[in-house]
Amino acid sequence: MSDQRMRITLKIWRQAGPQARGEFRTYRLDDVNPHMSFLEMLDVLNERLIAQGEDPVAFDHDCREGICGMCSLMINGQAHGPLKETTTCQLHMRHFRDGDTIVVEPWRARAFPIVKDLVVDRSAFDRIMAAGGYVSVNTGNAPEANTIPVPKDTAEKALDAAQCIGCGACVAACKNASAMLFVSAKVSHLKLMPQGHPERQRRVLRMVAQMDAEGFGGCTNTSECEAACPMGISVENIARLNREYLRAELCRES
Amino acid sequence: MSRLTSPTSSTVGQKILVACTGLLLCGFLVVHLAGNLLLFVGPEAYNAYAHKLHSYEPLVKVAEVVLFLLFASHIVLAVRLSIRNRRARGSAYAMSVSKRDDRILGVRLDYWMLPTGLVVLAFLLLHLVDFTWELRPDVTYAELEPYEKALALLTSWPTIVGYSVGTIILGAHLLHGAPSLLQTLGINHPRYNKCIKLLGGLFAVVIALGFFSLVLWANWFEHGGGHG
Ligand code: HEM
Ligand code: FES
Repeated sequence: MSDQRMRITLKIWRQAGPQARGEFRTYRLDDVNPHMSFLEMLDVLNERLIAQGEDPVAFDHDCREGICGMCSLMINGQAHGPLKETTTCQLHMRHFRDGDTIVVEPWRARAFPIVKDLVVDRSAFDRIMAAGGYVSVNTGNAPEANTIPVPKDTAEKALDAAQCIGCGACVAACKNASAMLFVSAKVSHLKLMPQGHPERQRRVLRMVAQMDAEGFGGCTNTSECEAACPMGISVENIARLNREYLRAELCRES
Repeated sequence: MSRLTSPTSSTVGQKILVACTGLLLCGFLVVHLAGNLLLFVGPEAYNAYAHKLHSYEPLVKVAEVVLFLLFASHIVLAVRLSIRNRRARGSAYAMSVSKRDDRILGVRLDYWMLPTGLVVLAFLLLHLVDFTWELRPDVTYAELEPYEKALALLTSWPTIVGYSVGTIILGAHLLHGAPSLLQTLGINHPRYNKCIKLLGGLFAVVIALGFFSLVLWANWFEHGGGHG
């Protein structure tokens, strides 16, 4: 692996506030270490901007190890950049070429309003979770884990769905800014576990209603979400959500 | 628990109805194509079929009303969803690149459902003008048996152009639509997903080529061959 420093031109979306008009601004970095992550490269840019007395580029990040889902960036038109199943914080500059121009934009969705520069407000996801993405249990000692048997393959499917880190790449990549992959992952992982069963009908109806109320688009089975998901969550979950929804609408006990 | 929603109040419910109406319309296409392939058999078979179909008018009226409702609900719901989906983006990306690497030649028919649907609608209207309402000024409908009527229409240039474009675009609509409707109805399993894609695509191609073959046949075989 070459240690050769890279020259990178960045075209970054700058927007002073939610109501402000945004625009792309161009920055040149002549000394990019190929082993830096994309976020570290932005850190370097920001240090320079601060030294120059300019406003640093606002971007979201937290864990920087691919588990929190904060680092939401549209890089050259792709959510989290060119690699599959990789978050922006895990994307390294060696995947670009010396002399590249990189366009960096925020997620764009009516339900994810821009806060500043590259930072968007994803609290719509929190409200969808609050509407039904939980199981109601009494507090107290945790019950013995093995008292409720779960078949291995069911547990695997639930865990696959539970990998969702709520980053919003599915919304960002979907031509309809649809949140169906996110909602279906949450509905699936709770529905598949016995603890989630009692509330399954109410859950799917409420979460879908909240998803619509937030202004996300609908699903057109385009599967861009699955390709963009850093956790590789499958649209199989969307089919499961559709089944859960049909079942709740048509076969409800009460 | 109280009713939180009605099936049509959510995007998921509406999309399921688009899929159901789409499925029923696919069923209609199969029956309609099967009937009209009798053109290949000859005037006697085709005329007998057409006369039999219209021998009891009230039943035809019921079928027409059902078909109208199917088309109307499919179109209204699909257009409403499409408008909502466009609005959901807000401001456009400067750059947008697919991460899917499983598209055939990079064709994105799923992005074209509204345009292809609208072309199918235009084709449908032309078809009704041609055959049902009999409004074409360049065709003398009186005294024509069904077979002759079909041939007269299928060899006129507005029909040749309209139906060629119409049937191919219908195929494009179904190439995404047929497998997509199964996903919408919750039918998805790793074990048979490949099969669904293949059979859905095959269905779209067979339907499109089936209808298109009627245009081809009328002009290049029947017309030239001087049958009947
Ligand atoms: C013979 C006529 C037609 C058939 C058999 C048909 C069939 C279908 C099918 C199977 C789907 C897929 C549903 C799904 O993805 O779950 C679909 C979607 C769609 N159809 Fe049609 N269709 C027909 C006519 C039309 C017409 C006339 C329009 C006019 C606007 C239209 C507009 C749409 C749109 C916009 C969608 C996508 C909806 C969405 O993904 O949300 N279709 N159609
Ligand atoms: S910063 Fe946590 S996933 Fe990237």
